Amino acid sequence: MTDIIETLKRVELFHGMDERQLTAVAQIVEPCVYAAGDVIFEQGQDGDALYVINSGQVEVRVQNDDVTDSAVYLGDGQTVGEMALIDQAARSATIIAVDEPTTLYRLPVAAFTRLCQMQTDIGYVLMRNIAQDLSFKLRHRHSDIKRSGGSGV
Amino acid sequence: MSMIYKVSYVVLGGSYPGGIRNEQHLPRVGSTVKIGPRVFHITEVHEMMAPRDGFQFVQATVAPVDQLEHADEDYW
Repeated sequence: MTDIIETLKRVELFHGMDERQLTAVAQIVEPCVYAAGDVIFEQGQDGDALYVINSGQVEVRVQNDDVTDSAVYLGDGQTVGEMALIDQAARSATIIAVDEPTTLYRLPVAAFTRLCQMQTDIGYVLMRNIAQDLSFKLRHRHSDIKRSGGSGV
Repeated sequence: MSMIYKVSYVVLGGSYPGGIRNEQHLPRVGSTVKIGPRVFHITEVHEMMAPRDGFQFVQATVAPVDQLEHADEDYW
């Protein structure tokens, strides 16, 4: 439990939470280990959890029509699947483990939503941090589009 | 708690995707970083957004270390 809390402290998604709040989050965390090439979730699946990368890297692949593009590699401290917390829509990308091993913390959406509803202070911090993380990812994406000669927004 | 550097790695030119990760140290120009399966040289580092709550937001541009070795591949 202490290891998980220490990891969560270094993740932007949980920044601003105190020990009590982090302990509550850590209690619903499920540690997961993946081998290189393992699919963590697939585009189009229901979003039932978000994941925090503890070590290793994952590849984010997006399929449009018949073309599959590698969008970004995410590493330590990054989150994947957080949009499921907001819109409960289908997964927008496929996530594949790159490194051997890749370790993640899985947070089931149902348990996380319950926690946020019961402890609204956690819900507020979490939603603020998700917004900030999505903003960072958008800024990264814009830079990525510019360098490849596309027209960033 | 020490500063955490949230870094956006952008590969200049070509279609190879960049990366995002937290680092314990500010990336340095000339050092190497593994993004996905490939290794890159860091060529430029600049602040992306103002620091906030123990996080510094940085963008690093990178170029492949193995550019010549993989010259026949299409990522560059």
